[in-house]
Amino acid sequence: MGLLDKLSGWLGLKKKEVNVLCLGLDNSGKTTIINQLKPANVSVFCPLSEEWKHVSQTQAQEIVPTIGFNIEKFKSSSLSFTVFDMSGQSRYRNLWEHYYKESHAVIFVIDSGDKLRMVVAKEELDTLLNHEDISSRKIPVLFFANKMDLRDAMSSVKVSQMLCLENIKDKPWHICASNAIEGEGLQEGLDWLQGNVSVQYIE
Amino acid sequence: MSDSSSDGGKWLDAHYDPVAGLYTFSSCVDLADLSGDGESRLVVGDLGSGLSGMKLKVYRGTALMSESTLLDLPAGLVAFFMDLHEPRIPAVAVASGPCIYVYKNLRPYFKFTLPGLEVNTLEQDVWQQAREGQIDPLTLKEMLESIRKKADISLSVRSLRFLSLDTSDMDEFVQLHKQQPVRRQTVITCIGTLKKSTADEDGVSCLVIGTESSNIYILDPEAFIILYKMSLPAAPTLMDVTGQFDVEFRITVACRNGNIYILRRESDKPKYCIELSSHPVGLVRVGKNVVVGCTDESLQGFTQKGKKLWRTVLPAPIITMATMDLPTRGFQAVLVGLANCEVQLYREKNLLSTIKTPDVVTSICFGRYGREDGTLIMTTKGGGLMVKILKRTAVFDDRDSAPGPPLAQSVRLNVPKKTKLYVDQTLRERENGLAMHRAFQMDLSRLRLAAAKAYVKALESSLTPMSSSLTEPLKMNAVVQGLGPSFKLTLNVQNTAACRPVMNLAISFLYDENLYRMKCSYMRIPLLVPGLVYPVETFVECTSDKGISDIIKVFILHEGKSSPLLTAHINMPVSEGVTLN
Repeated sequence: MGLLDKLSGWLGLKKKEVNVLCLGLDNSGKTTIINQLKPANVSVFCPLSEEWKHVSQTQAQEIVPTIGFNIEKFKSSSLSFTVFDMSGQSRYRNLWEHYYKESHAVIFVIDSGDKLRMVVAKEELDTLLNHEDISSRKIPVLFFANKMDLRDAMSSVKVSQMLCLENIKDKPWHICASNAIEGEGLQEGLDWLQGNVSVQYIE
Repeated sequence: MSDSSSDGGKWLDAHYDPVAGLYTFSSCVDLADLSGDGESRLVVGDLGSGLSGMKLKVYRGTALMSESTLLDLPAGLVAFFMDLHEPRIPAVAVASGPCIYVYKNLRPYFKFTLPGLEVNTLEQDVWQQAREGQIDPLTLKEMLESIRKKADISLSVRSLRFLSLDTSDMDEFVQLHKQQPVRRQTVITCIGTLKKSTADEDGVSCLVIGTESSNIYILDPEAFIILYKMSLPAAPTLMDVTGQFDVEFRITVACRNGNIYILRRESDKPKYCIELSSHPVGLVRVGKNVVVGCTDESLQGFTQKGKKLWRTVLPAPIITMATMDLPTRGFQAVLVGLANCEVQLYREKNLLSTIKTPDVVTSICFGRYGREDGTLIMTTKGGGLMVKILKRTAVFDDRDSAPGPPLAQSVRLNVPKKTKLYVDQTLRERENGLAMHRAFQMDLSRLRLAAAKAYVKALESSLTPMSSSLTEPLKMNAVVQGLGPSFKLTLNVQNTAACRPVMNLAISFLYDENLYRMKCSYMRIPLLVPGLVYPVETFVECTSDKGISDIIKVFILHEGKSSPLLTAHINMPVSEGVTLN
């Protein structure tokens, strides 16, 4: 994988752009995760193209509930990610499906401490996977079992059991335990996503 | 989900703990953001076993967050904002006995006690004498009994308790209590909240309490003084409050006399009264209307002025009721917990959905729990806790599962306007009603007379071939067949008695011998079994060729009696042929 990445980077001179959809219930930590993945320092950043100039590409200091959605950009070693950070509030969840078509990967964030709303997360996940724009495609789905720092948080195995992830047979998926505030577990997930999106591209 | 078949897949089963040990009613359950972090908690006044184990419990998500012991059985529990301090954290008021215990940050904060009632002076004197040792417990009992019988002001709880004691326990009771002054205290039966001056979600609220002494008090949220007092004809049991104290408010109370009273700001007496045919067991407000559940297994809707709008019959007795209000979707309905382990959802009189539960639901609470707006929380008779979340995609259709009259029934018919003729006629009927009735009665009498006359005439001429004799009730009809000159005469004879057979009968014919010839003009009839029809056949030959006909008379005779039982005249048809000789 690493060799291929380097090759593609050298040959293409420009990193491949992938659209990633970041979904999950409200207060699960989507914006915090995306914020952690963005570069911390302004000087490192260079704009990728003119039309993305308006997008904030550095870490925000304070995270507030997202209204509608945010578009964020960041780069990994081989790919350039454009992330649609969707609002998880129930009144905005009907916006999600409009972005399914253009996305190359899905990040689904779960609040591991919220046992009560695990059914709601499962319901939204099932709706997502059964949607015509998703069910027909073999796009990778990355799950973050977030908020592992909470005392009553469930393990990633327990979360995957409650969401019945073993039933997803036609898509590559991966679940990572994470703590978005500290940034733990995020890189592992991103590496997996990078590998799977790349595989899809090469195919 | 698993129970999608029963409720149309509208609810997600978020949590069910059948052994949560929560024994409570809808009046003792509330949802509030008790820590100001945007997550609502479930606050429950647990009745425990009814004698002990009363607790104030707070749930967060699926877990019990805190519990504190209550001193007495809770009658009601509300969360309300009592001040404007930041962060905006609501206080919890628990009504039990004559007191309201206010908790802030889940710590006891204030205790409000209702003012005592007037004590009977006679009763006071009697206890005074008992304290001074002038009278013994038996005399005390006698005197209290007599006071109880005639006094307008009822006795204090202490005296009533004393009267119910055995003679052996009396002395001890008097020794224990005689030093304290006699007090008469009422108890709280229901509690509600009323916004003080703004309709905001987090506006400061007054407490509204109903008492056993048939009063309603409105309390100031900060100073806990009585702002307003209203009186009712009976003790209130259920209450609903709407509006703002400083602007206009409306308190709807269901009382123990089976009536519902509507109180308003201006007067301290009920403004409207709804008299129900059976006792109310649930009272909730939906928009501007009031929905009442009654003991006769019915749900009734009323306007805020007490006008009845609709009534619908439920499949089982009502256990509890709650409003389902979802402002983000503009949805309002009533949840009704039934004794047959169902929770039904009604919008107006239409059944929208039914949720089957594993146990009888004793309390229902719908609102924002945790971060989810449409959460339904139920506790069961066995102490279970059930949390369901309304699906984001759930849609409730009117009449989707309600069997009832077709829609066409409610379409208004195009009734033509009243014509002048119709109006004149109505006017005439109204003015001359008496004369018209008399005329009708006279005509009716005449008709009856005419009918009776015709009947008598028929009887006298024995035209009807029916015997009126009690011992041999007979019926006969005759059929003439043939074109002539030979006719077949069939007489169908029937014994109409209930069970007695008729014997020794004979038939005889009387005819003009110049015209007709008969083989035998006298026949014996066999025994007639009741109910059966016996055809008696004979042949008649017409001997005349002049084309004329006559009557043949038939007599049914009893042997040994000269007068016939039955007579019939048979009009013979004209013979169309001639006898061949």
